[in-house]
Amino acid sequence: MTNSAVRMTGVVKRFPGVVANDGVNFEVLKGEVHALLGENGAGKSTLSNILTGLYRPDEGTIELNGAPMSFASPKAALDAGIGMVHQHFRLVEPFTVAENVILGNQETPFLIDAESIIDRVNELAARYDMAVDPNAKIWQLSVGEQQRVEILKVLYRGAQVLILDEPTAVLTPIEADALFRTLRAMTAEGRTVIFISHKLDEVMSVSDRITVLRGGRTVGTVATMDTSTRELASMMVGRSVEFSRVVRRNPGVPADVVLSLSQVNCDDDRGRHALHDVSLTVGRGEIVGVAGVAGNGQRELAEVIAGMRSSTSGRIAVAGNEVPNGKARAAIAGGVAHVPEDRLHTGLAAGHSVEDNMALKNYRTPLLSKFGLLRRNVIATQASDLVTKYDVKTPDTATPVRLLSGGNVQKVLLAREFSTRPKVLMAASPTRGLDVGAIETVRGRLVEAADDGVGILLISEDLEEIMSLADRIVVIYEGRLVADMPAADATREQLGLLMGGAKMEASR
Amino acid sequence: MNSWSQACDWPGRTEFGGWPHTYYLFNAPAISGEEILNKRLSKKWLPLAATIALGVGLVACGDDNGSSSEDTTAAAEATADTTAPADTTAPTDTAAATESSEAAAPAGDWSANFKPWEEGAAPVACGPKDGGALKAAWVYVGPINDGGWTQTHDEARQKVQEHFGDKIETTYKENVPEGEQVSQVIEDLIADGNTVIFGTSFGFQDAFLAAAEKHPDVCFEFATGYKSAGNLSQFYGAAEDTDYLTGMAAGAASKNGKLGYLASFGIPEVVRGINAWTLGVRAMNPDATVKVVWVNSWFDPPNERKQAEALIAAGVDVLGMKGIDSPATGDAAKAKGIPWAGYNRDNSANYGDVWLTGTQYHWDVYEIPRLQQVLDGAWVAGNYYGNIGDGFVGLSTYGDLVSAETRATIDAKKAELAANPGGEFTGPIKDTAGKEQLAAGKQHTYEELMGMQYLVEGVDGEIPAG
Amino acid sequence: MKSPIRLERRLKQPRWLNWAIPFISLLGALIVGAVVLLATGKNPLDVYWRILDRGFLSKRSITGTLRTATPLAFTGMCAAAAFRLGVINIGGEGQLYVGAVGAALVGLWLGGSVPVGITIIVMVVAGMLFGAMYASIVGVLRSQFNTNEIITSLMMNYIAGIILNYLIFNSRSYWRDPRSVGFPSGKPLDERAHWPSYELFGFGVSFGFLIAVVAAIVLWIIYKRSRLGFEIGIIADSPRAARYVGIRTKWTIVAVTAMSGALAGIGGASQVGDFAHYLDAKGLQLNNFGYTGIVVAALARLNPLGAILVAVLLGGLTNAGYSLQGPDFPSGLVGTLQGLILFTAVAGEILTKYRLRANRAASKAVTA
Repeated sequence: MTNSAVRMTGVVKRFPGVVANDGVNFEVLKGEVHALLGENGAGKSTLSNILTGLYRPDEGTIELNGAPMSFASPKAALDAGIGMVHQHFRLVEPFTVAENVILGNQETPFLIDAESIIDRVNELAARYDMAVDPNAKIWQLSVGEQQRVEILKVLYRGAQVLILDEPTAVLTPIEADALFRTLRAMTAEGRTVIFISHKLDEVMSVSDRITVLRGGRTVGTVATMDTSTRELASMMVGRSVEFSRVVRRNPGVPADVVLSLSQVNCDDDRGRHALHDVSLTVGRGEIVGVAGVAGNGQRELAEVIAGMRSSTSGRIAVAGNEVPNGKARAAIAGGVAHVPEDRLHTGLAAGHSVEDNMALKNYRTPLLSKFGLLRRNVIATQASDLVTKYDVKTPDTATPVRLLSGGNVQKVLLAREFSTRPKVLMAASPTRGLDVGAIETVRGRLVEAADDGVGILLISEDLEEIMSLADRIVVIYEGRLVADMPAADATREQLGLLMGGAKMEASR
Repeated sequence: MNSWSQACDWPGRTEFGGWPHTYYLFNAPAISGEEILNKRLSKKWLPLAATIALGVGLVACGDDNGSSSEDTTAAAEATADTTAPADTTAPTDTAAATESSEAAAPAGDWSANFKPWEEGAAPVACGPKDGGALKAAWVYVGPINDGGWTQTHDEARQKVQEHFGDKIETTYKENVPEGEQVSQVIEDLIADGNTVIFGTSFGFQDAFLAAAEKHPDVCFEFATGYKSAGNLSQFYGAAEDTDYLTGMAAGAASKNGKLGYLASFGIPEVVRGINAWTLGVRAMNPDATVKVVWVNSWFDPPNERKQAEALIAAGVDVLGMKGIDSPATGDAAKAKGIPWAGYNRDNSANYGDVWLTGTQYHWDVYEIPRLQQVLDGAWVAGNYYGNIGDGFVGLSTYGDLVSAETRATIDAKKAELAANPGGEFTGPIKDTAGKEQLAAGKQHTYEELMGMQYLVEGVDGEIPAG
Repeated sequence: MKSPIRLERRLKQPRWLNWAIPFISLLGALIVGAVVLLATGKNPLDVYWRILDRGFLSKRSITGTLRTATPLAFTGMCAAAAFRLGVINIGGEGQLYVGAVGAALVGLWLGGSVPVGITIIVMVVAGMLFGAMYASIVGVLRSQFNTNEIITSLMMNYIAGIILNYLIFNSRSYWRDPRSVGFPSGKPLDERAHWPSYELFGFGVSFGFLIAVVAAIVLWIIYKRSRLGFEIGIIADSPRAARYVGIRTKWTIVAVTAMSGALAGIGGASQVGDFAHYLDAKGLQLNNFGYTGIVVAALARLNPLGAILVAVLLGGLTNAGYSLQGPDFPSGLVGTLQGLILFTAVAGEILTKYRLRANRAASKAVTA
């Protein structure tokens, strides 16, 4: 017997027009954390979908513990001991943790012995250091806790190989650390973890070995201790990438205010007070970073500026002109561009073509429609121009955006937003979930826009990003702006403390 | 779009009523065989589901035909049981009866009750031109196995076919919804060479009138209407007379003197029925009251059953009905074990333990001689109002609940009414408000009967506004 | 255990499939139908010929088919219009009744006293308005209170039926013919309020059908070319994106439900103006035009021009179905044939989105 848990050899998977996996070789040893690293579109998702039985490879073999396997369904893969923790959770919100854990489990008897399930869940949770109350309802849990439930689900069903798809994307740093401890505990018991990510740092800190994919092919497998972030990055993108503080062509002019909020209050979807007397200015060409842990009012802040949400009091002005409360069209007309966090379903209409999405903001202008009728040829020209200008990789402009890769989705969104010639651009987590190459492009576009005089409000949880791009940083905590400082003065530690609710004075 | 989902019944008697309607089980009694496919529910949804169901039920369609012929036999026996006595005296207002043949039944002559629209009109030549068979067609609103109205019509058609053998070729179209579809069906029938067309639902009338005007060489026969044309006849009969006799049976069966009655619409035909029935009830049970509910439909089995159950819950101990095509009321009665007087079809076999009797139409009494006239080149259009005397209306088989003594009383009254149609409406008659509607010793005229708009004393209810 | 074939979603739908599949599935239906017919002792060729002849070929049949198709085209478009927005308006039935009530009202009122053309146009407009207003109740409830439009529109169908019954059977309303003897019926329209019908290519085409064709073209332009159509598409695809670009979602829901109801309303008006010439309370309810319209919309893939074609197909099949029926041809068999054709049409529809794949090597048990 070898020590191999999973071995995939020469795996090929073709989709119409695309070869997603083109002869991938991939071997995972028992008891290791093996990172699968690659840009978006490198073939990571396809590979994991093949491994979990969702797709079947067109060519190639899969061996599990040295024996050839072929899975007809996700259930077959699970029966064989391969479990997947998806990036987007598949939990039933009104159900309890224990109920979710047994949901869909074929071995669940007709009559459910709740006690024994709860005991088993508690036991698993304790063993792997995943504190979660089996009787809590899912909706009561934080995102990190919900992820634990997902992990418990696959453990409960006896998975020996766990695949985690970008598990830290939704976690706070503290939660991520807890997750890493859990993974360690599992591998210590001989379980195997496949960790899909494109975050170099965390891959370096959590994995034993790393396989890098690029363009559907295996670039190579390296032992973590023998490599560096820099080497991995170049393996991923095929060239060296530097992260450092950006150099600005034209520095911002804070005194020339393009966006101002004064004493703005608003409620969230459940009617709770979400923003408290928020006052903020963004100058021409200035990049203002809004740092904060997710859920502290960032979404409401962006929506209230974009006119998607009504404020309960306060004023918002763009280039000195007050924007009517809660009128998205007025905000757009006033020069507010918005790259929302949920690109595919808020910023774009996923089922619509690239062409339609490019026209989403300006289809009502006389250029694109007359007498209520759209000028389809102009819309098409606009789209193909933008596709060329922003280097969007798409078969044609009639392709639905949902079929594009994450980076290209963001390019479509940015292309459209910049094409409206905005005065202010709000970008919420604009690089989240993107691969290294795309991150570079997106950041470059933002800086370029700022250089051209657009005031940018960068809302992000990624401190690295804020610190490398922003001229000025504000910190949001529980719906209040708790700090406002030049980026040059900010340190990671200080921001981290403020984001965690420490007082300004204390942090100094 | 009737036929899209109106198919045939299938065994297992589950009703198909797909989304978005709640489905229900229609509790048909054991032998009645032809369960009513609930027109409304099943029709609305949907061909696809119907396909599946029909695919399964194909064989059942054949079975249905088989069982309906069984019922035909049953009905034929019933006819024999209940037709007017052989020694009926002639109808009072006509000498025609004296010419009646020596045949045992019917004793009266149908032609006495037929009046051409125009005396001396030239016959319409709608007979076969080339010496082939005469093609005649019937257009039905319901399914031929509805257990009521349409089924009795189709049984009459089968008798017609039997009577004429290969001289006539009959066909029918069932489940034809009222509305513009009717004219399409008529056109199609004419294109197929049919030259006599029978219509059996009031709502078809305008389409028949229009078709009659468009096709002067086709003979149209219409049941239950009133509009006329040179080639459009109307035929119906004095069901109120038998309704009265049915009411007698019901009155005799009631112990607490509270009876319930389901009525379709507040139209003179039905009002006459209610009144005659109530008079019959009170002839046997003078202080009895009849509680009337309006179903507002000719055919809506679930609603009929619900209303019947509500009546039972309100304390009535006998049920009757008029203008209602399905035996759903009987199901309610059977479930509670209370006596039921039906309408329009002999259900004595299927509802034996609760059955009293009911009015029954013998459409063939009119249809056979009329088709003979077509063959003879003697058909003219006119109005026919049959009665007990000529055998057009009759009583169904008595149920076991009707005592021999009651039967004798009813039979005596029947002979009387056969001689004097409409005789049950002899004054003094008061309405529910106590106002005298008919002076002592007087009888309603035909026109008064046709326009009756009051309810007699003893009825608990009122005619819907209008 | 495991089915030997399975469905796999197509990532792309080849264009030729959209045309080929309906024909292939129709062929399949005819073959299955032939087996059924042979089993019941019928000659399939005779039967199919009769369906073609009585539904689609002769001039008289085409005239009839278009008549039967007219209300279905309207209710089909009614369903399609709302479904496009993701509003499941199954209230076409009731909206059609109410449209008929409106058209009958103005037809009775104006008929004979103003020029024919004006009477007819006002009848069409009244049908639209009545249908639209009735439907917009559903739209307002949905957009303002987020009620489930499936339930409300269904309940509104029953209410509309009750209104019809009330107007004709239970009251001496303006719509009821005071002269009707025996059974109550609607007051007949003046002949000068009857809608015209035209001879086109030798067969009769009713005014209502022409309106349906025009409405389908207008609707198609709205969907394909107009700003409103664009916005409807965005709302249906992603309500959040609609909010993001400031589309007035609530307004659009009300407007589209009203438009949907207006279409059914014209269908009702056409029943009064083209065919019955009075408010036919029972006839309207017995035909289930509104519910059949849902089938039309589904088969037409919510395409308004497709709805016309499907309505004509259903109309022809309906008429041919009645033509087939008779003592030696039970209506159940007719329904089976009609159902088969529709069923395979839908099955074919699935094949344009998915493809069949053989389930080869099933998973091996894990024993190693």
